[in-house]
Amino acid sequence: MGSWIEQHALALVAAATAAVLLVVFYFPVATVFVEAVVVDGAITAAPLRDVLTSEFYLVDIFWFTAYQALLSTVASVALGLPGAWILARFEFPGREALRSLTILPFVMPSIMVAIGFVATFGRSGTLNTALAAIGLPTVELLFTLPAIVIAHAFYNAPLVARVTTAAWESVDASAIETARSLGASPTRAFYDVVVPQLLPAIAIGATLTFVFTFASFPIVLALGGFQLATVEVFIFSRIQNLAYSEAAALAAVETVISLGLTYLYLRYEGRQRGDGQGANPQPRRSVWPAAWAPREVGTRAVIVGYGVVVVAVFVVPIASMVIASVTDGSGLTLDHYRFLLERQQTGASYQIRPLPAVWNSLVFGVGTLLVAVPMGVVLAVLTTRTFRGRAAIDALAMAPLAVSGIVVGLGLLRGLVFGVDVFGTRVRVTGAVAVVAAHAVGAYPFVTRSVAPLLGNLDSRLVESARSLGATRARALVDIELPLVAAGVVAGAAFAFAISIGEFDSTIVLAEGSESYTMPVAVERYLGRRLGPATAMGCLLLAVTSLSFVVIERFGDRYGGQGGF
Amino acid sequence: MRLTLDGVRKEYGDTVALGSRAGGRATNGRPGAAGVDLEVGDGEFFTLVGPSGCGKTTTLRLVAGFDSPTQGSIRFDGQEMAGVPPEDRGVGVVFQNYALFPHLSVAENVAYGLRFTDPPNGEHRDERVASLLELVDLPDAGPRGPGELSGGQRQRIALARALAPGPDLLLLDEPMSALDARLRERLRLQVKEIQSTLGITTLYVTHDQEEALAVSDRVAVMADGAVEQVGTPQAVYRRPDSRFVAEFVGDNNVFEGRVESVREESAESDGPSRTQPESPVETKGGGSGDAGGNRSIDAGGSDHRYVVCVDVGGTTIPVPAGRRIQPGATVTFCVRPERMRVLGGEADVTAWDVGGEDRGTDTAVTLDATVSNAEFLGESTRTYLRWRGRELTVRTADPLSGDVRVGFERGDAHIVGVDSKKAPE
Repeated sequence: MGSWIEQHALALVAAATAAVLLVVFYFPVATVFVEAVVVDGAITAAPLRDVLTSEFYLVDIFWFTAYQALLSTVASVALGLPGAWILARFEFPGREALRSLTILPFVMPSIMVAIGFVATFGRSGTLNTALAAIGLPTVELLFTLPAIVIAHAFYNAPLVARVTTAAWESVDASAIETARSLGASPTRAFYDVVVPQLLPAIAIGATLTFVFTFASFPIVLALGGFQLATVEVFIFSRIQNLAYSEAAALAAVETVISLGLTYLYLRYEGRQRGDGQGANPQPRRSVWPAAWAPREVGTRAVIVGYGVVVVAVFVVPIASMVIASVTDGSGLTLDHYRFLLERQQTGASYQIRPLPAVWNSLVFGVGTLLVAVPMGVVLAVLTTRTFRGRAAIDALAMAPLAVSGIVVGLGLLRGLVFGVDVFGTRVRVTGAVAVVAAHAVGAYPFVTRSVAPLLGNLDSRLVESARSLGATRARALVDIELPLVAAGVVAGAAFAFAISIGEFDSTIVLAEGSESYTMPVAVERYLGRRLGPATAMGCLLLAVTSLSFVVIERFGDRYGGQGGF
Repeated sequence: MRLTLDGVRKEYGDTVALGSRAGGRATNGRPGAAGVDLEVGDGEFFTLVGPSGCGKTTTLRLVAGFDSPTQGSIRFDGQEMAGVPPEDRGVGVVFQNYALFPHLSVAENVAYGLRFTDPPNGEHRDERVASLLELVDLPDAGPRGPGELSGGQRQRIALARALAPGPDLLLLDEPMSALDARLRERLRLQVKEIQSTLGITTLYVTHDQEEALAVSDRVAVMADGAVEQVGTPQAVYRRPDSRFVAEFVGDNNVFEGRVESVREESAESDGPSRTQPESPVETKGGGSGDAGGNRSIDAGGSDHRYVVCVDVGGTTIPVPAGRRIQPGATVTFCVRPERMRVLGGEADVTAWDVGGEDRGTDTAVTLDATVSNAEFLGESTRTYLRWRGRELTVRTADPLSGDVRVGFERGDAHIVGVDSKKAPE
């Protein structure tokens, strides 16, 4: 019996993964789709028709969503490319550290980033304080498109920089030297040899950015208000108004668009794979030039200018949040943290208290890690093998990347949380389990994508050797493959944990009126009237997130492991 | 252990990796598409040799259980292996790229298989590891990491690891291909020695025909997913069954021409045959199933009862044949370069009893050719000649140039193919 289990261990975990996906992802998403076409027990196209024929939805919601995604993509590429150039072509102290920092936005809770931007661009935020200090008129950026676009660039420019840097570093120096020896000038060689190798990476970064920003929720919610509503935000407001069929119809349309975009992305990415790392990368230049020729000085001025922009976009919002948490209008204060303590001691039962939020976040994070890592690893094993129907499994397993947390949350809420009749028994999944399930579904693709590339690079003969020596497939995975891709597994686990800690979209839907609220939910709730308590909660969240980032940085990049992102 | 492959065929979608690629025709009375038949005896060193894509590695992977055949059966000592996972087959596998586990030390690598089975002969695990490291001449490598070893050393560790659990069958997949020439020759000698000491049944896969001839008890020459010929190295080299084998195994001069006449030969007039006595000759046609007709033309060794006169580009060349071949049929035959002599002085000409130009007498043939190129190999020179628009290869002591006359004896020509269909009735 034991050996039977061992021989079929992979299949069993795969089946369990499929079951979990079915229950907490496909079933909820299907619930949403069904609700979009079934009203009061009758099939009707009315909700969908309403959405697809309404000028308000098409122009004000969908067009605006696409438009802000497009602007955000342009901004992210514009902000990311110089970063890639500097990271790939210059040598300076801390370059490796900076390169690994580009993963940071991925583990930043989006609601925290939103708070940071509020603290920066708000009426009495850092920006206006600075402007006032030097005697300039203040600006109102909050609840405007630029704030949203800059916040999106905060998230996605590092992504663009990351993938482009990787591509740039894999450009073979001898290809450039060949072009030069054939008569090309340095500029010409750059356009003819380097640029064509960068374009696919830039396209991948841009497409991913568009997909992500199209489905962006907390940033737009916090920075756009309901005046500037993307589909996600509007679905959320419909859910709050209990207009479920309208929300479902919107969610269905949004999901179809997101899935289509992701499909295009995966197809494109798949075609670009397979050109390995250049054996012979170009040497990096020092940031301190040997001689201060005018050209060198110009280059350095560009780098310094870019550095200022980076600090403004990436450091100022976080710093603003920290500063806002310890100041009020009159100076330094610990009032905001005291508010958290008071709320903890005297908060009413319907109010959100900080400690349970922290505790819930940690418990859900660990739970997510425990569920998402085996799921993600087994899917990574499956996706690196070739078998019939692999592409379909790939797509089905990666679908959670494309479907927004709001949609999954809505489906879970309307299905399992409210209760489902299974063979006459009413089955309900309570808050905590539902939250962990939703987090795991959102997190395991990241585990898969940090493990799969490393697994794919492993020689399949290692496993075959182990098996011919007597190891079962599962044993070979544990003895040989996992130790060799440990960096990817740990990075994936940290991803899963950090994503769970920062997850907002589905949590806010599922935690509505229950005890299973998390830190991001608390941040959003405290945002209500004053900024202070929210920033204090945000700093707490920052501390926990930074900790998990340290783990990612330590284990992930030390081994040079580059996941799919 | 005895290994049997019975009509084994492997397809990946529409691609036939192993088995006849001609498609689903019935062979040997068996329905369905043709597969590969092989029989490897207990303790035998058996080699699959062929160009890349011929199906040799596929065969090895099917035997190891990494893939399962689309059709046919694989048996170990008569026991069907279908559905038996690799870990339960008791095979040791050595790959070209060593596939040592990089996170384990050399000793841990060798001991890995002992996690799942006890060492044979009641040995202790550590003793077993030590004795295997001894066997491959690396007794002190145990604590080192695979990365600290040279290619040849890694390959020997891979061999030790494969042998540690005491497998019944050893599978070697191009184990020498990543090594440099000198090391390759030394290592293959060592592998052969270890194999015969242990008496373990061994299936060896290589694209290098020279290596195959050097180490094997028997070889199977494969092409296009099918077995072209199975036999001892000597048999395959001296009596190739097909044009492919003739050209793939060693250098060869292949001629094709139309049969002009056939006559029966008495044993005496054949004279003392130059064909040397051979170790057990077997020329089994395998299950390749194509051109089955010309398989056994020459199977009779030196007792050729017929001589056919073949017209090759205007020159008549006598060739011994094992059976009567109808005049008009197209015959393909070959002569090894080392059997071709360059006829320099008058003495040679007299001895060879020939006239002034290309001709074939009853027992010998001379051809007038022009040297086109030569490669000095050290122990001899491979000289390329142009003869009537064809290329010939001869072995000489020194590079030649200009016009030369080469000759060979009738007995050195060997028929590899007859196509009666080309013959006009």
